[in-house]
Amino acid sequence: MPADLGIRARIKAPVRASGSPATVVTALSARKALRSGVLWGYIFGIAIASSEISYVKIYKTAAQRASLAATYGTSKAVSALFGTAPQLQTVHGFTVFKISMTLMILGAVWGLLTSTRLLRGEEDAGRWDLLLCGQTTRRGATAQTMVGLGAGLVTLWALTAIIAVLAGLESSVGIGAGPSIYFALAMVATAAMFLAVGAVTSQLAATRRRATSFGAAFLGISYGLRLIADAGMGLHGLIWTSPLGWVEELQPLTSPHPLAFVPIVAFTAILAAVAVHLAGTRDVGASIVADQTHAPARLGLLFGPTGLSIRLMRGTVIGWWVAIGLSAFIYGLIVESAGTTISGSVNEVFSKLGVTGTGPDAVLGVCFLIEAILIGFVAAGQVTAARAEEAGGTIDHFMVQPVSRAAWLGGRCLLALVVLVLSGVAAGILAWLGAATQHTGFSVASLLGAGINLVPPAIVILGIGVLTFGLRPRATSIVVYAVLGWSLLIVIVGGFGTVSHWVLDTSVFHHMASAPGVPPNWEANGIMTAVGAAAALVGGLAFRRRDLEGA
Amino acid sequence: MSNSALRTEGLTKHFGDVVALDHLDLEVAQGEVVGYLGPNGAGKTTTIRLLLGLSLPTEGRAEIFGLDCQRQPVQTHRRLAFVAGEANLWPSLTGAETLALLGRVHGQVDEAYRDELIERFDLDPTKKVRAYSKGNHQKVILIAALMVRPDLLVLDEPTSGLDPLMEQTFRHCIHEARERGQTVFLSSHMMSEVEALCDRVGILRDGKLVEIGTLAEMRHLSALTVEARFDGAVPDLSVVPGVSAVDVNGSMVRCQVRGPIEPLVKALAAADVTDLLSREPSLEELFLARYGEDGRAG
Repeated sequence: MPADLGIRARIKAPVRASGSPATVVTALSARKALRSGVLWGYIFGIAIASSEISYVKIYKTAAQRASLAATYGTSKAVSALFGTAPQLQTVHGFTVFKISMTLMILGAVWGLLTSTRLLRGEEDAGRWDLLLCGQTTRRGATAQTMVGLGAGLVTLWALTAIIAVLAGLESSVGIGAGPSIYFALAMVATAAMFLAVGAVTSQLAATRRRATSFGAAFLGISYGLRLIADAGMGLHGLIWTSPLGWVEELQPLTSPHPLAFVPIVAFTAILAAVAVHLAGTRDVGASIVADQTHAPARLGLLFGPTGLSIRLMRGTVIGWWVAIGLSAFIYGLIVESAGTTISGSVNEVFSKLGVTGTGPDAVLGVCFLIEAILIGFVAAGQVTAARAEEAGGTIDHFMVQPVSRAAWLGGRCLLALVVLVLSGVAAGILAWLGAATQHTGFSVASLLGAGINLVPPAIVILGIGVLTFGLRPRATSIVVYAVLGWSLLIVIVGGFGTVSHWVLDTSVFHHMASAPGVPPNWEANGIMTAVGAAAALVGGLAFRRRDLEGA
Repeated sequence: MSNSALRTEGLTKHFGDVVALDHLDLEVAQGEVVGYLGPNGAGKTTTIRLLLGLSLPTEGRAEIFGLDCQRQPVQTHRRLAFVAGEANLWPSLTGAETLALLGRVHGQVDEAYRDELIERFDLDPTKKVRAYSKGNHQKVILIAALMVRPDLLVLDEPTSGLDPLMEQTFRHCIHEARERGQTVFLSSHMMSEVEALCDRVGILRDGKLVEIGTLAEMRHLSALTVEARFDGAVPDLSVVPGVSAVDVNGSMVRCQVRGPIEPLVKALAAADVTDLLSREPSLEELFLARYGEDGRAG
């Protein structure tokens, strides 16, 4: 080495790094899984607590509780959508009915996304290669990662259980620590199973996206089988063919059935073992299901940045449209039966959620609120996708071409707007189609209007996202999901009936009229659209005057 | 009208307290091939990102063909093409789709030349980007840049990941570009590449341009290496004016000489020299010498 380089080479004996080689991959993946475990454990716990507390605050008398049980306890449609609803006259039964299916699905999504991110995602990014150059093997690293994922799962369960126990110990709720812990365990059971599902699909598929799609398809099938089993068609035995059904059969808080843990544990353990085995039978970067490495050129949409965005995001957007359209159609199907039997106490809850009207109008108002939340997620996804292009460096290919930043971002925003409007239209039209099959009397114009009414809150979310993207690009994802999460939390907490309107006003969904019970408030919608557009404009101006920033 | 393809005036970039680029004054004439050297963190990529309008300067300005890089990025980009050291392409597109997209966005493609480049770089365009090796990623963005026949090629470690055969192909393409009158601004760590391709070389250190000139000019300012073998006693060359780094190994002496060589020639002539070799410093030696002056790498 030439002395004039000035590099003072100091040769020392190798020093043993802290931590054992056998645990370093575990520690690395645990670190990543713990963060989301804490976040989602908090959300799970708060959701359980809010459900328990809202029940005892709203349904104070035995008569109110009996009315609720009579309304929902016997509805086949409700049972198919949310699971069976026993003991609705108790806080235990209500909590299971109100929150368990949502948490089961959220848990499955968390498990799938976390697992595919830390297994196939790391492999996609090339970081897996670095780890495998250390003192580990493909199977060893996969097993160690799964242990790390297990640490995230335990965190999710622990935080859920702590908050559930604390809420349960509230004297008016009166749920013991044991049942709360068991309930929390049941609620994270799908997360455990789908961590294992994600581990297997990460071996099967060549990309993280594909691995997630495989897992999502499995989740869809599981939900469908459970739905048929609970629909009162005499096929309840099908419940044992679905992982979601196994969790339902745990019957937490109502009549616990711990034996249902047997298929859950067996399924998780077998899939984990299969994932570890498969990891050793393939090359790093390769997949069990053959990847399509060659394809004829399809140039139709490749006319520029916006065309490319359409091509890259169309699968995801179509997935959202299917979810929004299908759920709207189902809501349309059940609205008549649910609405005509709705009690005054339920109307009271609905009104506290900002829903106006009674009967089918009120039910559809709540359903459209759920659709608005879904469309809010679509908006958040659009803006985080734009940020991902910048973080990943692919935007540079356009920014060194005769493409202005304004044109690039304007194209993204316009595309996002079209996606949001079409989402609203899909919700309105398909809700009308579902309702029309039941001869409910809702007009296509009123439900189409109610669907378009869902778009302005999403535009506000989009605008805030673009504003953050322009000013603090690295905070885009955090801010946009925080706004959405906060608005969602306010919607849930709004059911308590004790929240000041100042707090309620901070939720983007609170400014949306509860169509079709009342006509859309086009003035409020105009203001929300203007706020979103102004925020996006400021964000766009800021984007033109800043450095492009990587991840 | 200015003959500059690229010009910077006091171009400065701070990242917080870190001065990544410090008042850079640089001019590249049209048709020139200029190398831009410096170790990691010297400010090469920062310079390029400022030229391309991807980053905003803290101070100063940059022009490409007389157009302001910050205020007229679209017009500027019509006349240039850029190749980065990290390709970061879209994994789900094929090579052909990527080239079509980038060509359409640029607006002008010499399709016959593109097809020729695909042949010369031995690229399979039907393959998806995620199935490409790193070298093939690099080939895609090299072809994408060359196929639009830009007036200015801005290249940042362009041969990263290419094998020696493909490196040769790249060099031929740059020679052809120069023959067509295109300007090339080449940032590279590969001294042999810069030495083979560039008319002038700039050396950047800690964000400052410490040297710029032709290789001949730079060699003129640097030491000449002389090796001599003697039949008899070895003379003491360390006392000869201009001579330094004298290294005696038996009957062999190696030394460096700066400035007039005449005193050394006289000293050697007075001794019994049997073998004499002198050579100019390579670019690598010039670069290392420049970075060794303070006894530290930049």
